[in-house]
Amino acid sequence: MIKIKKSEFNKFIENLQKNYSVFAPVKDGKATAFKKIKSAKDINNKILNTKRSPKEIFFPQSEVLFQYTEKGMEVPKREEKPFAIWGMRNCDTKSLLMLDKVFGEAHQMPKKDMYKDPYWKKKYDNCLVFNLACNEPLSTCFCNWFDGGPFDKTGSDIFVVETDENYIFEAVSDKGKNFLNDCKITENASDKEIKKIEKLKKTAESYLSEKEDISSLFSKTKEIWEEPIWDEIAAKCVNCGACAFVCPTCHCFDVSDEGKGKKGKRIRLWDSCMFTIFTKEASGHNPRSQSTQRVRQRVMHKYNYFMDNYGEHLCTGCGRCVIICPANLDIREVIKKIIRY
Amino acid sequence: MKNTYIPFQMKVKKIYTESPDRTLKTFDLSYVNKDDKFNFLPGQFCEFSILGKGESPFGIASSPTEEDILKFTVNRTGSVTNEIHYLQEGDIVGIRGPLGNWYPVEKFKGQDVVIIGGGFAFTTLRSLLVYMLGHRKDYGKITVVYGARNPDLFIYKDEIKEWEKRDDLTLHLTIDNPVKGWNKLTGFVPTVTKEVSLDPTSWCVVCGPPIMIKYTLPVLTEIGFPDEKIYTSLERRMKCGIGKCGRCNIGSKYVCIDGPVFSYEEIKKIPEAL
Repeated sequence: MIKIKKSEFNKFIENLQKNYSVFAPVKDGKATAFKKIKSAKDINNKILNTKRSPKEIFFPQSEVLFQYTEKGMEVPKREEKPFAIWGMRNCDTKSLLMLDKVFGEAHQMPKKDMYKDPYWKKKYDNCLVFNLACNEPLSTCFCNWFDGGPFDKTGSDIFVVETDENYIFEAVSDKGKNFLNDCKITENASDKEIKKIEKLKKTAESYLSEKEDISSLFSKTKEIWEEPIWDEIAAKCVNCGACAFVCPTCHCFDVSDEGKGKKGKRIRLWDSCMFTIFTKEASGHNPRSQSTQRVRQRVMHKYNYFMDNYGEHLCTGCGRCVIICPANLDIREVIKKIIRY
Repeated sequence: MKNTYIPFQMKVKKIYTESPDRTLKTFDLSYVNKDDKFNFLPGQFCEFSILGKGESPFGIASSPTEEDILKFTVNRTGSVTNEIHYLQEGDIVGIRGPLGNWYPVEKFKGQDVVIIGGGFAFTTLRSLLVYMLGHRKDYGKITVVYGARNPDLFIYKDEIKEWEKRDDLTLHLTIDNPVKGWNKLTGFVPTVTKEVSLDPTSWCVVCGPPIMIKYTLPVLTEIGFPDEKIYTSLERRMKCGIGKCGRCNIGSKYVCIDGPVFSYEEIKKIPEAL
């Protein structure tokens, strides 16, 4: 493990910017988000779980799929520099692995190439992910339920721990190893500092609420499909879709054309299964016209369908939906209710 | 890497108005670039788009045995289908496909097949029927039950006349309510299905409006068709067509990539399928 002094942080980021477009947690108006930074000074390492998740770096709220003119269709050119993301938390690095399953392939299909999403792949495949350990997780964090944790390294290239004086780096992936080998940081972390990481980890974990055993969640969700519990769960929901928009794993989108005459563009935009028109067909037929059906869909997608298709739950326990819900609908309570039903 | 979101161009070669109220039109499209030509099987669908107006999924109504064209029949009902109905011969449209799975024509080989359809959902069933007639020797007895609300709302009327003349095909046409001059069957598809004495050792393919599918499948069970030999094609609102945008799912299955063709056996395992 190697380290830089906190006083060297800005220089480290500036060096990183030479070869990468650097994204990091910043204040964005009243919100916090991962944005491409101009200067290292913009970075705020105190921000824990950004209000908007970093999925928008790879899968922005709106993205032009192609532009068209009389001459034909063209995919907009994107900048050539690969992305480096500083300061992602474990709940977010794990979400990237899940989204890569959706956008990088598709379940159960033989001809995989046509199911790759080139917009996602181009950005994700070359990116470098710095996972910053959470020294003081929030009260809404429940990453431990999904076998994640404030010091878990899954999904990152380089794992970073912030101590009082230093940032300590550990390579996780080959990509991360190569980067650290080439980056000319020579100072090794001392044994004392490495021990300190263990201590920080224990403290961080003590912030989390007790781990819920969710091993029965998959089978239970299926069993209770037709039970009235869904009405109880959905009663609070106002179908605003905020949970889906802040969620690091929600990936549903709409495709829409904007243009007049022979010029225009086709755009994809975030969408949510919470909205009535999400599944409404032109004929008027709507398979999920009721709020209960839509809430059930969201919960089932997270804790049953994704497991069926990709072998894990589509949730990392980041708690963003818990924070943002205007009706105080707490997904942790929903999970507990389902398990105990 | 192939970009499956980008449509290729096809030219509107011929337009047929299928119903006197002009709500149903069929479009024969020809390839602008021969390289875009793709192989497909009956039951698959495409995303049909008019740039600036949007994109919608439609089952391919032509058969792979019909060279160089793709056929789509479109009911005028929403904003995209409206625009499609405004198309003129010679216009250029965008196509993405073929998407989804297909009717198991390989399993049907050497076997009897029953096709049950309703209204303008006969599109992929036409593809299947024309395909099997094109490989007639590969298949056993072919029986078709086709229902529409009234005689005007059958699609492919000229072809139906040709099919009626064939002696290697049994065709049962039915309308919902009696109409003067109609000398074929009368009654809803599920009822007629029960009445025409189908052979339950056949394979069966059902496609129609959701309500028709829902009430026809149990009738087939009653007659004695095993669940794994009954196939149907489902529809859901779709955008991407490649299992990402998240709206066409029924349970953990996505109609766009796991379907649109499902066996009754599979459907019974998914609570919200019908």
